[in-house]
Amino acid sequence: MTDIQTPQSAKWWKKTDVKRVFLLWIILTAVIGYVGSEVQARSMGAPASEVMASVISLIRIFTWAAAPVAALVAALAITALMEKRHYGDNPPPDALHQVHTSPRVNGLWMAASTVLCLFALIVGLIVLQKDSASLLDAKAMNVNVTGQQWVWNFDYVESNRVRSADLYLPVNKPVVFHVSSKDVKHSFWVVQMGIKIDANPGYVTETAVTPNKIGVFDVRCAELCGLLHAYMQTKVHVVSQADYETWLKSTAVTQGAIS
Amino acid sequence: MTTMMERPASAPGHSAKRKPLIERLNIVTALALGTVSAVVVWQLALKFMPDNADTAFFFNREDKISLLSLIAWFIGFMVGIGALIGPFRWLLGKDLNHDENMFYAGKDQGIKRYFRYTTDHKVVGIQYLVVTIIIFFVGGVLAMLIRTNLGHAQGGWIEPQTYNAIVGWHGIIMIVATIIMITGPFGNFVMPIMIGARDMAFPRLNALSFWLIVAAIPPVFISFFTGGITTGWSAYNPLASQAGLGMNGYIAFICIFALSTMVAGANITTTVIRMRAKGMTWNRTPIFIYGVVASVALALPAFPVFFLSQIMSGLDRAFATSFYNTTGGGSGWLYENLFWIMGHPEVYVILIPAVAALMEMAPVFTRAPLFSFNIAVMGIGGICGLSILVWAHHMYMSGWAPLLSAPFMITTELISIPTGMLFLVLIGTIWRGNLWMTMPLMSIFALLWNFMIGGITGIYLSDVPADAFLHGSMYVTAHFHYTLMGAGLTGALASLVFWFPKMTGRMFDKKLSWVAFWLVQIGFNVAFMGMFLVGLAGQPRRVESYAAMFSRGNLITTIGAYTIMAGMLVLLHGVITSWRSGIKAPMNPWQSKTLEWTVPNPVPLENFDVLPIVTGDPYHYGKAQS
Repeated sequence: MTDIQTPQSAKWWKKTDVKRVFLLWIILTAVIGYVGSEVQARSMGAPASEVMASVISLIRIFTWAAAPVAALVAALAITALMEKRHYGDNPPPDALHQVHTSPRVNGLWMAASTVLCLFALIVGLIVLQKDSASLLDAKAMNVNVTGQQWVWNFDYVESNRVRSADLYLPVNKPVVFHVSSKDVKHSFWVVQMGIKIDANPGYVTETAVTPNKIGVFDVRCAELCGLLHAYMQTKVHVVSQADYETWLKSTAVTQGAIS
Repeated sequence: MTTMMERPASAPGHSAKRKPLIERLNIVTALALGTVSAVVVWQLALKFMPDNADTAFFFNREDKISLLSLIAWFIGFMVGIGALIGPFRWLLGKDLNHDENMFYAGKDQGIKRYFRYTTDHKVVGIQYLVVTIIIFFVGGVLAMLIRTNLGHAQGGWIEPQTYNAIVGWHGIIMIVATIIMITGPFGNFVMPIMIGARDMAFPRLNALSFWLIVAAIPPVFISFFTGGITTGWSAYNPLASQAGLGMNGYIAFICIFALSTMVAGANITTTVIRMRAKGMTWNRTPIFIYGVVASVALALPAFPVFFLSQIMSGLDRAFATSFYNTTGGGSGWLYENLFWIMGHPEVYVILIPAVAALMEMAPVFTRAPLFSFNIAVMGIGGICGLSILVWAHHMYMSGWAPLLSAPFMITTELISIPTGMLFLVLIGTIWRGNLWMTMPLMSIFALLWNFMIGGITGIYLSDVPADAFLHGSMYVTAHFHYTLMGAGLTGALASLVFWFPKMTGRMFDKKLSWVAFWLVQIGFNVAFMGMFLVGLAGQPRRVESYAAMFSRGNLITTIGAYTIMAGMLVLLHGVITSWRSGIKAPMNPWQSKTLEWTVPNPVPLENFDVLPIVTGDPYHYGKAQS
């Protein structure tokens, strides 16, 4: 690559090491892109919301966008390592290949990294815009989330402030969480739905999601909050609308005295 | 160690009957005076300070007393080591004479000068090296305790309180160790020789910066036994105001350490700007110098903010002010802002000198010129400039300012451009080089690998929607270990092997350096790949137990961590045996072209008999220039 400036070499792309780099680059791009995105996507498990699905696809896209860069550096490094190795206590002779700089390589490198950077930015900003818009959904139900050392409490605003320690949500209904804390900072993380927002004492922060899968998912605290931080977790039960109504009624009855 | 460090035999310094004060002060008097002051102030305060239990916010009275005792410790220690002798003598109008200054520089004192307020930059460099190794050892043991505790899902054999304290302690002392690991030992020992200077611009400030670190360490060690730093190294408020008395140790530690960093930053920056050899223009200044200056210059705006944030934290605790207390009109978000305004430049304070050190080694071990010196300088400069504009990406999920997410996402992702330049320089230098297979050379490959992973995962984290999932998970922990340890520490270990011959006069044992390298690198990748996976599966950070589904990943991480420990112990063994009885090093074992290899071993007191004149850049390998 770097010898495009050297006048005596006729065609830089015909050199064996350049060909090897090119071949390795193609192979490694495929391997890094595929393995990187698959391993990460599988580790994240099945998404329980549109938001989480877009997180997974973002990570896939970024991995594929980064793969050619990582593969190029790896291909160059591997080829360099395969070519001329010298063992011993005295230095090898000076390398024959002496290039102090190469304006063309520098320019190309900067242009390519700028393009990749802008690509990542634009993709990210589009998703961010979509996530932010969901906060303004007028049809959404509202849940007040209160963190305190070391439990979560959920108040269902539209249902006379029914309170629960496990979160119950109807499937396919947008929900906005209003998150606060009674003592120190906590972070409200619904793992499989890909949303998170800190619970700050004295302030209310917001996040929104539409669960699209029936099942039981995890809420964990993602900000060190003292002694039992590790145990500050609970479950989200995403149920059908009918089941949700039934649950609301039965809970409202048991809580009748206090609510 | 002693044999190598001793000067050629000559007349002993002073033969006065009664030793003057400056010759009687050393680390023993410092520890003694520091301890006595702390105990005296503690007892006096216990006796005379009114008990205001009625109005107290948490541990008000005890906080005042412990902070006062820590301040007393600090002043006592600094007086005891002799830091005030120079200024005091100047005040009296009886400035130090030539002999006394030579004594300060450590002339003819053998090993004793390492335990004194010595101004010679080479002594300070060795002092930093030993202290860095000690801190790393403690931090490493703590890491092993963490990993052992997490080896099994329900195996938490450490109490939650103790576990949180260990996590906080590991975090903060590793951060400090990595901040000083290159600019401390190598920045002090190697840098002045590399630029052709006889010493630093302010030799006494140099000694001051080192002894401030020594003064800072006992408070953080003691804090472990007075409730511990149970808040993680970031010590977020209001959690920190709720924590026990150990937090005061953290506050004192950070304030003293920040002072040290500011002093060292001013000193190193001035030295490089003013004291380069004749002919060493900016274009001929070695890239390692750029790395060191970038690192300390970046710390100059960052650490005063850290200092301030902890002063405010201390006031909140001891005097019930409410900088961070919401009920009193303050905000925890203020703390987060101050902390990360320091915290993000700080990661580049750690990273840049490590990459620059490997850039310095790349031409030596490939026998080819550094590829695109200008791009390297621009990369370092670009990272520095952008790094002070990105702090709030640590706060995407804090809810502090949702509208600022997009701007901070833009500045953060732009950092990938100058970072890419550093990759280009390294890979361009290696390309078609004659690779001299040594541990420093392989460290360049290791850095490319680790830093690539650390950098790409950084892009995921800088993306707000992805961060909504990843923030606060083990993924973040794995990411910053890849950058600070996989890239930073790799560069520091390579620097150790590379400059060991100049610093100790002996070669680092080759076999041991290889064994350590592979154990550390393989263990590291196993450990933190496992950690990435559990983070993606949803394990939060800083937890002392976890759901059964994370068991496998955590076990992998623990196995990897033990492999790292084995490697680091081999390396420590290598340091000790090579320093004591390694092969004697020639003047320039690597046939490098920078100035530090033109002075004999051991390096004479003022480095150069005649100051060198520089006529070209230090990377002119090959026939073109020879």
